Amino acid sequence: MRRARWRRALAAGVAAAALVGLAGCGGAPAGPPVLNWYINPDDGGQAEIAERCTAASGGQYRIEVSILPRQAGEQRQQLIRRLAASDTSIDIMSIDPPYIPEFAEAGFLAPVPADVAQRTTEGIVNSAKEGASWNGELVTVPFWANTQLLWYRKSQVEGTGLDMSKPVTWDQVIAAAQGADSTIAAQGIRAESLTVWLNALVESAGGEIVTNPSPGDPEGVELGLDSPAATRAAEVMKAVSAIGGPGFSTASEDENSNAFQDGSAMFQVNWPFIWGKVNSAVEDGTAEQATADDFGWALYPQVTPGTPSAPPYGGINLGVGAFSPNVDLAYRATECIVSEENQKQYFLTNGNAAAKLSVFTDPEVVEKFPMAPVIAQSLQQAKPRPQTAYYSEVSESIQRNYHPSAGIDPVTVGPATADLIKAVLAKEELL
Amino acid sequence: MSTTAVESGTGSGTTPTPPGNGASDRARAEQRLGWLLAGPAFVVMLLVTAYPIAQAVYYSLFDYRLTDQENISFIGLNNYAVVLTDQIWWISFAVTVFITVVTVAVELVLGFALALVMMNALQAIRPVLRAAILIPYAVITVVSAFAWQYAFSLDSGFVNSWFSWLPGIAADTDWFGGTYTSLLVICLAEIWKTTPFISLLLLAGLAQVPDVLQEAAKVDGATWWQRMRKVTIPNMKAAIMVALLFRTLDAFRVFDTVFVMTNGANNTETVSFLAYRQTIARVEIGLGSAVSVLLFLSVVIICVGFIKGFKVDLSQARGEN
Amino acid sequence: MSTREKVLWVVAGIAIVVYALFPVGWIVSLSLKSSDDIANGQFLPTALSWENYEQILVGDAAELFLPALRNSFGIVLIATFIACVLSMFAAYAIARLDFTGKKLILSTALAVAIFPVISIVTPLFNLWRQIGLYDTWPGLIIPYLSLTLPLSIWTMSAFFREIPWEMEQAAQVDGATTWQAFRKVIVPLATPGVFTTAIIAFFIAWNDFAYGISLTSTSASRPVPAALGLFSGASQFESPNGPIAAAAVIVTIPVVVLVLIFQRRIVAGLTNGAVKG
Repeated sequence: MRRARWRRALAAGVAAAALVGLAGCGGAPAGPPVLNWYINPDDGGQAEIAERCTAASGGQYRIEVSILPRQAGEQRQQLIRRLAASDTSIDIMSIDPPYIPEFAEAGFLAPVPADVAQRTTEGIVNSAKEGASWNGELVTVPFWANTQLLWYRKSQVEGTGLDMSKPVTWDQVIAAAQGADSTIAAQGIRAESLTVWLNALVESAGGEIVTNPSPGDPEGVELGLDSPAATRAAEVMKAVSAIGGPGFSTASEDENSNAFQDGSAMFQVNWPFIWGKVNSAVEDGTAEQATADDFGWALYPQVTPGTPSAPPYGGINLGVGAFSPNVDLAYRATECIVSEENQKQYFLTNGNAAAKLSVFTDPEVVEKFPMAPVIAQSLQQAKPRPQTAYYSEVSESIQRNYHPSAGIDPVTVGPATADLIKAVLAKEELL
Repeated sequence: MSTTAVESGTGSGTTPTPPGNGASDRARAEQRLGWLLAGPAFVVMLLVTAYPIAQAVYYSLFDYRLTDQENISFIGLNNYAVVLTDQIWWISFAVTVFITVVTVAVELVLGFALALVMMNALQAIRPVLRAAILIPYAVITVVSAFAWQYAFSLDSGFVNSWFSWLPGIAADTDWFGGTYTSLLVICLAEIWKTTPFISLLLLAGLAQVPDVLQEAAKVDGATWWQRMRKVTIPNMKAAIMVALLFRTLDAFRVFDTVFVMTNGANNTETVSFLAYRQTIARVEIGLGSAVSVLLFLSVVIICVGFIKGFKVDLSQARGEN
Repeated sequence: MSTREKVLWVVAGIAIVVYALFPVGWIVSLSLKSSDDIANGQFLPTALSWENYEQILVGDAAELFLPALRNSFGIVLIATFIACVLSMFAAYAIARLDFTGKKLILSTALAVAIFPVISIVTPLFNLWRQIGLYDTWPGLIIPYLSLTLPLSIWTMSAFFREIPWEMEQAAQVDGATTWQAFRKVIVPLATPGVFTTAIIAFFIAWNDFAYGISLTSTSASRPVPAALGLFSGASQFESPNGPIAAAAVIVTIPVVVLVLIFQRRIVAGLTNGAVKG
């Protein structure tokens, strides 16, 4: 049955290729079925895993990767556009977690078989499990999990008397940076990373951006942006922006890692890629070993003293296309992709943290990433961004109103954004 | 050659025409041949534009979200009402007009200066200038946008360190951090890229100004400036108008540069970008189509306004006469 | 012209060359900076590095860039070729024959030329999805015709108008057959116009970005300008400025070569089409 379907799809594919002709596709390859894996750009790690899993499958399938755009929002656009056309060529896709509900709600994801769900969520960090689910059900396979830490320059913090061995608050961090006449690097650019930051602040203050995701009815979505927690979050955001470095309103993760590496910012909240970056700079001779040694790390700052922070959660989970002719094979391939060994290798070579807890205690990982325990802890505490099928609208609206973050009015910005989101979801406003 | 023609005396024309109603037959044949030859191009042009725009008009009347195809519903002109009552549309419109006016005005002046230099440059260096000026024209807009963006960016740029002696520019000036500075860089990139086109059109216009008139004015003791105002510019009005029209229409559709440089941050969204965002990013096909149709109408209005208001002679633009 | 004036014009000429080449020089310089050098705040690299070219030609980004380069060349050349053939016939009819509807065709060309690309992208995107042209070569070639055809028709009919068609008859009178007359007399006269039109059409299609990002999604048809946004640094958060600059330089090379070789013709073509000289 499945084979016949597959053959039909192949025949259609050949016909299309013949029709297109000009595209110069090599025709139908003989051998095992090809699984197309749409990946976000990385340092080659996913392509490597694809090769390893192809080899390990013993001729059951061959995984081929196709690269998506760099921005998560654009990755989503490409996939959605193809899936809306019931594209059968999408077998596996690397999806940024906040967009997963939209895919699931639109019926673009093939249901995860119970046994696969069970096996792939064993020993997984909380946030990754939450981020791979929608409506309480696992709809994607957790692959790797990312989180932001508070990074600090040991030498600069020393003089301020701030004790980094215990969790710190944003207020303390701001005071320390002010006292040392330095800056804090955070993602102030009008991009997805601004929403990441705001969400972490709101969640850390005990609130939620979306209080009722209202599946299936965009106009029923309820927001928590007028809560005291959201106001508090906006206050922190404004205060940090005020002592952010020059160009705070266009600072993305990369700019911030540079500012931190060259010492102009004594603190930054950022993903662990900066550790790989500074170490490769040391290897290339463009940074001193002393610089890397000066990097310190801690859990994401708290908003309310004593209440554990809710650090950002990111990473990638694997979805299987609902229109794929090879759903079973694709799920088998995802199991191979997310194996503990592959997660570990991906962590080691590409610096992307694993979703499986056991990886964080692996000696090789700990040697290369001495902050692995902190990352694991952070991932356990981390909270996903608002889970709603309309995440894109929610995030874009937030970016529109909270940027530039130095100029927001903490009291009015939340309710105004809530109104905007509601109007946009009701299709009464443009975005 | 004419002598041979007389000697051989086989008459003219490849299609010998029988006497009688030959003239109309021939006209009809020519008519048919004309459409036969020009028809395919005409049909292709219609297919690639008329059909899509008709579809855009149709979709603009629906509530249609790509990820929610079960709930497509007819909502009349509602999408247009949403667009036209939204502040964002008007901001984008104003930004687009701003970019259009600034770039076209600067390009006209700069382009004229370039044309004058090319006109007066020594014969020997003229090919060099011509080649040089064609390079910005030929460079891909996206490439030019990246080049200018990187030049002005905080971490990879050199502009801040080169021009820090100017008041208002410091090592940490964040060009893409504000609306006006962002627009300034966008305009600079656009101007750099498209001035050559305008200057070449103007150069062709300059060449059309009769030398006799120039000489006569010189003899009458007119200054350079007077000659420019009274002789040169009036005589190349047609060329100026055509250049203006084309660049205005082009500038009004600006998209690539904004997309690359700011992605619409800090109120730098143009109308084209707004249409892109609704349709491609937000996958609201209905709303996006409404924006697209409105953009199309704006362009038509500008074009008609130009032709009627400034009496641009398009037959000249089309190469008729 | 006095010496002082001469000097002035030469200085102005140099200013033009600097104006035209400076940003191009900058992107070349940027492409030669290594990833650690890219933020050096200087115009020139501290040390020359081929790292970026390596990355896009043989390294990680090659899988992304090389197919895109192939797509760009293939799609643009085919679109240019089709536009030239179609407009050659049309321009011949417009320049030489007398038929009603000539004005209509020319006005349509004008209308298509001023069409906002974005207005077409949305409906085309929907249509292509339905008929399976999304992310294929024809799916880009067809919309590229909307860019290249109007301009080609204009430019070529302006050129064709200037051909002394009487010479064809004269040759026939001299004993040449219709075909010989066409081949020996008209073809050589018409070739420069067709050729010039082809170059300009090539530039226009080569420049496209909006169609490229909206109507493609994989290496099967993605052209270079759209691929530039897909490069990545060592991790997804690091800026790929260097590889983008290197790719930008590579896609600029063909147009610069064309410009250098054919500058005189391109100028004639550009100005002929819009303002009849």
